[in-house]
Amino acid sequence: MVPLRLVSKNLLKHKLRFVLTVLSLAVAIFLLCVLRSLVVALNAGVADAAANRVIVQSKVSLFVLMPQSYGPKLAQVNGVEALVRWNWFGGYYKEQANFFAQFATDPKELFDVYPEIYLVEGTKEDFLANQKSCLIGAETAAKYGFEIGDTVPIISPLYPKSDGGAWDYQVAGLYRSKKKSLDENTLFFHYDYLEKSLEEGVAMGPKDVGIFVLRIAPGAQPVDVMSEVDAMFENGPQAVQATSESEFQAQFVSMVGNVPLLVSSIGGGVMIAILLAVLNTMLMSAREQTRDIGVLKALGFTDGSVFGILILQAFVLCGLGGALGILLAKLTEPSVVASIGSMFPGYQVTGPTILEAVAATVAIGFLAGIAPALRARSLTVINALRAVR
Amino acid sequence: MTQNPMIRLRGVTKIYTRGGETLTVLDKLDLDMEQGGFYALMGPSGSGKTTLLNLIGGLDKGDAGSVEIEGENISAMDGPELAAWRAEKVGFVFQGFNLIPVLTAQENVELPLLLTKLSRKERHEHARLALELVGLDDRRGHRPSQLSGGQEQRVAIARALVTDPKLILADEPTGDLDRKSADDVLGLLQRLNREYKKTILMVTHDAEAAQKALAIVHMEKGGTLGRIERLDAAAATKPTRS
Repeated sequence: MVPLRLVSKNLLKHKLRFVLTVLSLAVAIFLLCVLRSLVVALNAGVADAAANRVIVQSKVSLFVLMPQSYGPKLAQVNGVEALVRWNWFGGYYKEQANFFAQFATDPKELFDVYPEIYLVEGTKEDFLANQKSCLIGAETAAKYGFEIGDTVPIISPLYPKSDGGAWDYQVAGLYRSKKKSLDENTLFFHYDYLEKSLEEGVAMGPKDVGIFVLRIAPGAQPVDVMSEVDAMFENGPQAVQATSESEFQAQFVSMVGNVPLLVSSIGGGVMIAILLAVLNTMLMSAREQTRDIGVLKALGFTDGSVFGILILQAFVLCGLGGALGILLAKLTEPSVVASIGSMFPGYQVTGPTILEAVAATVAIGFLAGIAPALRARSLTVINALRAVR
Repeated sequence: MTQNPMIRLRGVTKIYTRGGETLTVLDKLDLDMEQGGFYALMGPSGSGKTTLLNLIGGLDKGDAGSVEIEGENISAMDGPELAAWRAEKVGFVFQGFNLIPVLTAQENVELPLLLTKLSRKERHEHARLALELVGLDDRRGHRPSQLSGGQEQRVAIARALVTDPKLILADEPTGDLDRKSADDVLGLLQRLNREYKKTILMVTHDAEAAQKALAIVHMEKGGTLGRIERLDAAAATKPTRS
């Protein structure tokens, strides 16, 4: 029998201490949720990568471009049934703070190689028909309020317009993706429009290709395709590196350092710090209750009951903090997406992340409560009643 | 030797060891106390009064001998068994009142009832009646810090009797009270003894308080039994040296 009223009243005995402890726990669990969600977002592309896509990039670096002439040759490789070019445009919308990814790409082939793309507004036909049109991820469109037919001016330091102005793209479609291998924050526009502008001198910039994405035919082995591609350009003019999509995504993640390790370290540190803080609170609280424990035992409450009172206090304290932290992480999800969603596409506090937060909360509650609860259980009535209140 | 005493101690010994030194607090004590008695336990410091009270109340265990209450050998009981026995059979009143500071008077009195099968409503009603009995019905919602010492001790007495135990053990119940409050508390204990037939064993240093009992058991230094003083010849109960 655990007197629940006693549990709640003991917790609220020092209201300020209670509130501060709950808040510190809430902040820690909130941080854990956010940091974990960032890692999940970073790794989402890797986890959801397609097995039938091969990425071809320069062997030197992702930032070194490849000749246009590689495209037709790659298309001839055994097992390759479709190919699309991607060029990083590196621009911004109106001002530098409004950054999101833009790529010049082959419109029709984009849909062939990425069947997970689907339009939620606009039509594929409109996009294909108009060379100055673009597709925009639904998340970015929502953030900036882009609608079908709008003109989106993009300024690209990599491909500056000769007149110093912006590139204008007409929104033909808003897309979403069925898989996380493709985020919903990117702007895609016609490669031909970029090429034509460069040829006509309307804009300046490199004419080569950033990456080729190959779709492998059913039955063909991606490993064989990669080997053949690597061998094909081994002697230049630009050696290439063909990788699976998951490897490519992983490489992309690692470009920003070992973020998962860094984030996990920060999260772990925060958890240990908060565990010590809650443990300290619980030990103080249990010491203050020593005499009460003696009284309860004298009245006939068992060692198990007083153990239950102390451990329950820890669980309730941590439970409230944890729930508040999780709620906070969920409520701030849209704000986080709005502020850093372009850097962490697919950011979301998912069910597994919430489960991890719940597990961390329970673990902290248990670890913080077990020592005072065991002490309370082992106290004799006589020694407990001697304690100074 | 008394026939069927309520409390029966035989060869009760309690030895404390501190810093390698052993101290015999109770030395082969034999004592019988009858049901319905009101006993004051007196003696110098270190004579083992409180230790004896703790052994009779099942709060502590002796090193030798047996403690029988109503024929049950509580010395042989294990922890949970003893806790259940305490909950049902004994009410405690302590010198420092020992009320739970975060609970109201009503909640403090209800605490022992949580260990019974009574419903919430029944618990509430029982506690209210107990507080009414000690004259504190109007202080039910007050916390211990909002009560005077005398009122706190009366709440503690209400808590001790709310489960209707036959035996009430009081350790210096008037030790922290002024004379007026002490007299009120002693009057209440007398009433519980006379009207409700509770057997009361009270440890006290206060000779005036001891005079309110029916008998005084004098303890000697070294944990042996001294004389037993009967205060009321008309009393139906009297202590007996075995």
